[in-house]
Amino acid sequence: MSRPRKDPRAARAAHLVPGGARPRFDLAALPAASGRPRRDPRAEERLALVPGTLRRRLDRAQRAPALAAAAPASAETVDAAPRLRVIAEPAYLVALVPDAPGGRLSAHDRQLFGAARLLADAGGGAVLAFVEQPGEEFGPAGADRVLALPVSGYDPEAKALALNAALAALDLRHVLFPETADGGDLARRLAALSGEPFFAGAESLSPKAVTRAARGRRVEQRRAPPRLISLAPDAVAPHAGTLHEGLPVALAFPQPTGGAIVSAEFIPADPAKVSLAEADFVVSAGNGVSDLEAFRALAAALRATPGASRMLCDAGLMPRAAQVGASGTVLDARVYLALGIAGAPQHLQGVAKCEHVIAVNTDLHAAMIERAGLAIVADAQKVMPALLALLQQERAS
Amino acid sequence: MRIAVLLSAGRHSVSGRPAPVPVELQALRLAVDLANQCGGQSGCDVTGLHAGPELGPLADTLGHGLGHLVHLRTEGAADPAPALAAALEAGGYDLILAGRAGQGGEDAGLLPYTLARGLAWPILADAAGLAPGEAPGTLSVEQALGRGARRRLVVRLPALVTVHPAAPPPLPFAFAGLRRGRVEMREAPPAPAVAPEVEERAYRPRPKLIAKAAAGASALERLRAATEAASGGGRLLVDPAPDEAAREILAHLRALGLPTR
Ligand SMILES: Cc1cc2nc3c(=O)[nH]c(=O)nc-3n(C[C@H](O)[C@H](O)[C@H](O)COP(=O)(O)OP(=O)(O)OC[C@H]3O[C@@H](n4cnc5c(N)ncnc54)[C@H](O)[C@@H]3O)c2cc1C
Repeated sequence: MSRPRKDPRAARAAHLVPGGARPRFDLAALPAASGRPRRDPRAEERLALVPGTLRRRLDRAQRAPALAAAAPASAETVDAAPRLRVIAEPAYLVALVPDAPGGRLSAHDRQLFGAARLLADAGGGAVLAFVEQPGEEFGPAGADRVLALPVSGYDPEAKALALNAALAALDLRHVLFPETADGGDLARRLAALSGEPFFAGAESLSPKAVTRAARGRRVEQRRAPPRLISLAPDAVAPHAGTLHEGLPVALAFPQPTGGAIVSAEFIPADPAKVSLAEADFVVSAGNGVSDLEAFRALAAALRATPGASRMLCDAGLMPRAAQVGASGTVLDARVYLALGIAGAPQHLQGVAKCEHVIAVNTDLHAAMIERAGLAIVADAQKVMPALLALLQQERAS
Repeated sequence: MRIAVLLSAGRHSVSGRPAPVPVELQALRLAVDLANQCGGQSGCDVTGLHAGPELGPLADTLGHGLGHLVHLRTEGAADPAPALAAALEAGGYDLILAGRAGQGGEDAGLLPYTLARGLAWPILADAAGLAPGEAPGTLSVEQALGRGARRRLVVRLPALVTVHPAAPPPLPFAFAGLRRGRVEMREAPPAPAVAPEVEERAYRPRPKLIAKAAAGASALERLRAATEAASGGGRLLVDPAPDEAAREILAHLRALGLPTR
C-alpha cells in the first residue's frame, strides 16, 4: 500500500493537551500538518484572478506564487523609465558574440543578450559583448562592457583566434553565440581551437542547466552551462527593464596572420529564385489586381519576390507556390507590400512575422489597411504604373 | 583532385530508423560533380569514409554515385575522430566534404572542426556549390547565408568544407551503382570511448517564445499580440494621386534600407 494506514490511537494522542493531572484532548484543534497539504481552491482562484479587467478573468497559466510576486513589481515599473545599472566590480564575466549584420542587432542577437544577462545576474557578473563595430545599441541591449575585435572582411579564423586569446586573458566564465550560419561557425571554430566543452543549439537556458535536442530530435540533453554555448533562436526572451553602460574596454590581441581564404565576395539573393519562405521582401497581388503584367514588371523592378492571395492562385493567375497565408507559405520576410488584398485572417496569418507591411487597397475598412504601417487607399491599377514609371525615371537619371 | 566525403550513421527524421544523412548525400553529389569536371584525369576520385561499429544502410551511398567506400571499424561507443583523422592524414586528399551536422548522433556539427584543427587545414562552412578555382590548387565555394543570399569564397587547397541543405539534391539511387561500388573494411586502432557528461531524457518540444500581452489585457489584445507583429508608424493616405502614392511607397522602402535599384 502506498498510503500509510491511519492509527486512530495515534491520531487521538496528537490532540492531547499537555499539562494537567488528567489527560485532556482538544479535538477541535487542527493537528500539525503532516503528509500532503490540503488544497484551498478558493485561495488559488483568488491568486489567478486578473485585476483591472471589466469581466472576471482567471489566468491559470501563470503559476500562483509568480503572479503574487510579479503583480506589485509590474505596477511600479509601468511608468518609470528603465534605469541604468552599473556593475563596477563584476564577480565574473559572461561574454557574447552577436552577429550584428551591418552593425545592427538582430532579434536573435537581442535574445542572446537576454541569455547572457540571465547567466550574469545570477551571481553578480557582468556581460561583455565582442563586436566588430562598436555602437550605441549595445548598452541598452544589456552589455556592461564592449570589446571591439580586430577583424576586417570575412575572416572567421582570425576572429576565432582573437576570441581564443580573449578567452584565456579575461577568464570568461561563459561565451554565448547565436546558432546562425556565422555565429555557429565561429562557436565551433573556437571550441576546436580551445578544446573547451561546447553545447550546440541550446533550446532552454538557466544558470543551473542548459538543454538541447540530439539524436535526430528524439533525446533532450541536459547539463550545467559549459563554457561555450550556442543559442537556438526564440529560446530566451530578450533583455528588458534595465539599461547598461556598454563601457568600451581594450585588450591587446595577437597580430592576425594571413588565412587560406583568397577572396570573399557577397552575392545578394536573386529574388526570382529565392523561395517565398526565405525571401526578405515580398510583393503580393490579390483579387484587386487585374493588370498582372504590370504586377510582374513591378516585382522585377523592385527586386522583390512575387506572392499572391489564394484568390489569384485558385484562379490560376499565379502559381500555387506563390500563395501567402495559412494554407500557403508563412512568410519570414521583413517587408511586405500588399496590392489589392483584403486581409482575410487566413492571409494575415501568413504575414504575422513581417515587420513592415505596406498596403494598397480601394477599401478604407479592409483588414490589410489596418495591419499596414503605410496604408494607401487608392486603385492598385493606377499606383503600379506610377511606381514603375518612378523607378524607371530614377534609373535613367 | 582527391576528394573524401565523411559519412555518418544517421537516423531517418520521421521513422527514426538507421539511414544516411540527407545533407551528406548532397555533399556526395557535390563531390561527384566536382570529380566529373576534372575530365577523367587520373588522380581524380571520390572516397567515402565512415568510422563506426557497422556500415548498415550506409552501403546505399554506393547507389548514390559513390565508387569506393572505406569503413573504419571501431568499437561500439569509441570516438570516431582519431580513426578518421588517421585515415585522412594517410589518404593524401585535397578536399574533404562533410555535412553541416549529423542527424541521429550528437548532432552538434563539431567533428569537422576538430578534424580540421587536427590536420591544421582551413575549414569553410555551409557550402551550397563548389567549382574549381581559376588558379590551380584553389577551390571556389558558394556559401549559403540566410534568406537566399550567397557568399563566394576562393580557398587554397587542401581544405575541409561542410555542406548546407541548400546544396543541390542528392543523385538518384541506382541499383547498378550499388552493385558496382566497392566497400573496403579496415580495423581502426582502439580509441577511448567518449565519456557522456550530459544527462539524457526523452525529447519534449518546448513552446517557442511568442510576443506576450500584459497580464491584465483583454482576450482581443492577447490575440493581437499572438498574431500581429509590431508595425511602425501606421500612416494612412486616403485617395492620393498615383504619383504621390508611388513616391510615398518608394520613400518608405528606402527608409527600410531596401536596395530598389
Ligand atoms: C480553409 C481556408 C484556407 C485559406 N487559406 C488561405 C491562404 O493561405 N491564403 C490566402 O490568401 N487566402 C486563404 N484563404 C482565403 C481567404 O479567406 C480569402 O478568401 C482570400 O485571402 C481573399 O483574397 P483577396 O484578398 O485577394 O480577395 P478579396 O477578398 O476579393 O479582396 C480583394 C480586395 O481588393 C480590393 N480591391 C478591389 N479592387 C481594387 C483596386 N482596383 N485597387 C486596389 N484594391 C482593390 C478590395 O477592396 C478588397 O479588399 C483561405 C480560406 C479558407 C476557407
